[in-house]
Parts: sequence; C-alpha cells; structure tokens
Amino acid sequence: MWSRELFCKAGKRILLPAPGEGAPVAAAQRLATRAAGEFSASGDEVGDRNADVFDRELKSKQRDRAAWFMHESDPILDTVTENLLDRLQDCKRMFPTALNLGGALDHVQRMLHGRGGIERLISMDTSVDMIGRSKRLAAMDGLTGEEAKRSALENMQIIADEEYLPFQAGSLDVVISSLGLHWVNDLPGAMSQCRTALKPDGLFLAAMFGGETLRELRIACTVAQLEREGGVSPRISPLAQVRDAGNLLTRAGFALPTVDVDEYTVRYPSAMELIEHLRSMGEVNAVRQRSLVMSRDTALATASIYQSMFGESDGTIPATFQVIYMAGWSPDISQKQPKRRGSATVSFKDLQTAFPPDAFSKTSDDPKSTSTTKSITELASESKERERTGQNESEETSGTTRLPSGSWFKLD
Amino acid sequence: MVRGGILVKHAAFNTSLLQYLACPLSKDPLRYCEKSQELVNDSLGVAYPIIDGIACLVPSRGRLVEKLPKDPEPDPAAGR
Repeated sequence: MWSRELFCKAGKRILLPAPGEGAPVAAAQRLATRAAGEFSASGDEVGDRNADVFDRELKSKQRDRAAWFMHESDPILDTVTENLLDRLQDCKRMFPTALNLGGALDHVQRMLHGRGGIERLISMDTSVDMIGRSKRLAAMDGLTGEEAKRSALENMQIIADEEYLPFQAGSLDVVISSLGLHWVNDLPGAMSQCRTALKPDGLFLAAMFGGETLRELRIACTVAQLEREGGVSPRISPLAQVRDAGNLLTRAGFALPTVDVDEYTVRYPSAMELIEHLRSMGEVNAVRQRSLVMSRDTALATASIYQSMFGESDGTIPATFQVIYMAGWSPDISQKQPKRRGSATVSFKDLQTAFPPDAFSKTSDDPKSTSTTKSITELASESKERERTGQNESEETSGTTRLPSGSWFKLD
Repeated sequence: MVRGGILVKHAAFNTSLLQYLACPLSKDPLRYCEKSQELVNDSLGVAYPIIDGIACLVPSRGRLVEKLPKDPEPDPAAGR
C-alpha cells in the first residue's frame, strides 16, 4: 500500500511527516492496512507495491508528452469512443453525473453530445497536461459558441489516480472509461472502487485493449530480440484477456455484466509510423520490468521482421487493436435477479408439449446449412436409437433433434 | 499556455465538486481551505493541493498536516 511507497523508494520521500512527530506516520500506516483490507478485492494479502507491473509515474509523464502530440481526431480513439458512448443510448435511464476516467479523455468530452442525459462530466487523469488539454477544450467550446448541447455540459477536471478513486460512495451515476484501464496495476481493486462510488443502479462502461492488441508487433519484437540479444524483455504490456473480462466485472461486484469484443486493423507504411502513433496516444511501454535500452540494431530488425512477416502486398503493415467493451451495473433491488435454485414451476417436458418441434423448424435454402443439419441429424439419429421413447419422422426434416438426455437441441 | 490564440484563464476551484469528492485513501469527505488552496481530510490529517484550480487528489501529492485547526508549515520537499 502507499505507506510502503514512502519508505521503500530509495532516496525519494513522497510524503514528508510533520517535523518531530511520529504519530501521523503511524496513523497513516494503520489506515493503509485498513484501506488495503477494505479495497483489495481478494482481501487476503495487502499487496506489495514493489510488485507493481506498471510504473504509474512514468505513465503519467508519457501521457504528459502525448497531450501535446495528440491530434484532434485519432481514428482508433474516435471509433472506440463512439462505440462506447453509443451504449449509453441503449439505456432508457438518464445519468446526470458522469466520471470520465483517463484514456481518450477529450475524445469522450468532444463526442458526448449530451447522450445518456449527462449534465456534469468530471474528467479524471493522473497526467497534469492531459487535464489541461481537457480544460482548454472545454473552454474553447464555450468561446466559439458551439451548439447549446455542448455548452450545457458542465465540465470539471481533477487529477487523481484510478487505483485510489477520490469519490464518495454513491455519488456518481455513470463511470465511462475509454481505453484508460489497461495501465492500472490493481484492476479488480480499481473496478471495485468504481462500483462503490456509483449510486445503486449506476452504469460502468469501459473499453480497454485486449490480449490480441499489437500481436504482430509483439511477435516481431520477440523474434528480433531473440536474434540480436538472445533474450526477451517485455516490449508490449500485458493485457487483459477476453475471458477474464467477465470475471473482472463479477469480481468487482457488478450486476448484469456484458462483455463484447471488437477488432480493428490499422495499416501503416512501416513499423516506425506505428510507434509514432502509439507515442502520440500515450500508449508507450511503462512496464516496470522492461529493458531500458533498445539498441538501434534491434529496432531496425524489428521493423524489417514486421515487414517481412506481416507486410501486405502494397508494402503497408497491419496492426491489430482488439478492444474489449465491458458494461456492468451497480447492484440495485430494481434489477432482475435469477430465481433461486429449486424454485422452478415448469419442467422441460411441459415445454416440449407446449412448443412442439414443428414450431421451430427453419426453412433454409442455403445448401451449407442443410448439409450441416444432415450431418448432425445423422449423428443424433444414432443416439436416438438408443432411446426408449419413440420419435416421428418429421423431427429429422424439421431441423431439431433430441439428445439422449431428453433435452431439445435446435439447429441454426 | 496560449493555444490557437485563446488564453485560458486559470479558474478558481469549482466548489460544487465537493459533494462528489472524497479522500482517495479513506473516502472521507474533504474540507476546502481557500487560504492555502488545499482540500483537507481532517480525520486523517492529509491535505491535497489545488493547482490552477484543479484538485490534485493523488496520494503521493498529499501533505501530512496537524489534525489541529491551525495552518501547518509549508513543506519544501512535498510535491514535484
């Protein structure tokens, strides 16, 4: 926890105790232990900050630089933000207070257009310059007299860390994070804090880069490093897998979790342009264990391997960006709950009599689907022979088959 | 910074944020001290600076203060 940060970092004192007093330090340590137990999702260990995967200070400095490099509109950030904000329109609920977690901060601010009934947008980031950029964007809109929708949005900014969310419990209606959570060390903890900060029946929307992102660059870097240096150091940050995203949401305590994945392929003239683009988005490597030196030979080897392994016919190279969109609601009694086990009032047999298999038959002219139907039907018919209950011929042609267990299996 | 000919005035801290904000460590509500431009968590004794009207609620930027109502001495090594 943070108190260890004070004393473990050699030569760097972050929090200076008041002169000649040990009590505040002890109080801080007691609080840190309490905070760790309260906020850490696993609850078993406090968590050694020295085992952090990402260097948050470095990331904040990289984002400071990116704030000046970033263009007004960026193809990936724009597309992802647009897809994310679209999900707000799927809800009938209005969300007056919104928290905009770092990442594509000003893209969210610019593209919101009053969706979801958001009246107050609090933008939050660790980087001072990114926040300054967001503030300038808000000011510029007001001065140039943009349409009333945008000026009706009240913009506020704070500088804060996603892992230590500075919000009171039950104060926010919606938390939006467009590509901001993949540099967080304690992701379950951060999401847990988001859930606490949300009001009951509040929405958590996040888009983060998935495991397949920059797959080609990762392969090219690994091969080049093996060739030139004989070892591998992490050049691409570890990213969440799609299968873990659902677990993350449920672990943080969100109800009705939804996860979907999108893959975008962007073409660049060469690997150098890809790196430039990543730098302008602030997505450069901040993994603690990274090697601090990359020799020119390795860099050039990476570019040439990328070109030879993945180059397209017109000389451009593709880069994959896999984005995981997560949505979760903070628990509320108004939400639908699954029924208790053993409380069923209808059995499967009743469903079979109520909805005979003919009702579900699909007339399809596609020869591919018909052939699939036939092959599965053939397999099923063998198992059917082992069953005691009889079946009529119409079942085979209708496209539904009966499994040995007695439950129905519908073919699409 | 002047960008595109528009100079952004450094606005004062927006006090309507106080109803949402809390200490990042203990989630206690904060008190706005206008004189020293800080957000103070009295129960814990930590003060977070407000720079150019933007609250900086990062634990490493916090400053340990006395829990008494008097103003603490400024720390030269605090902050970057």
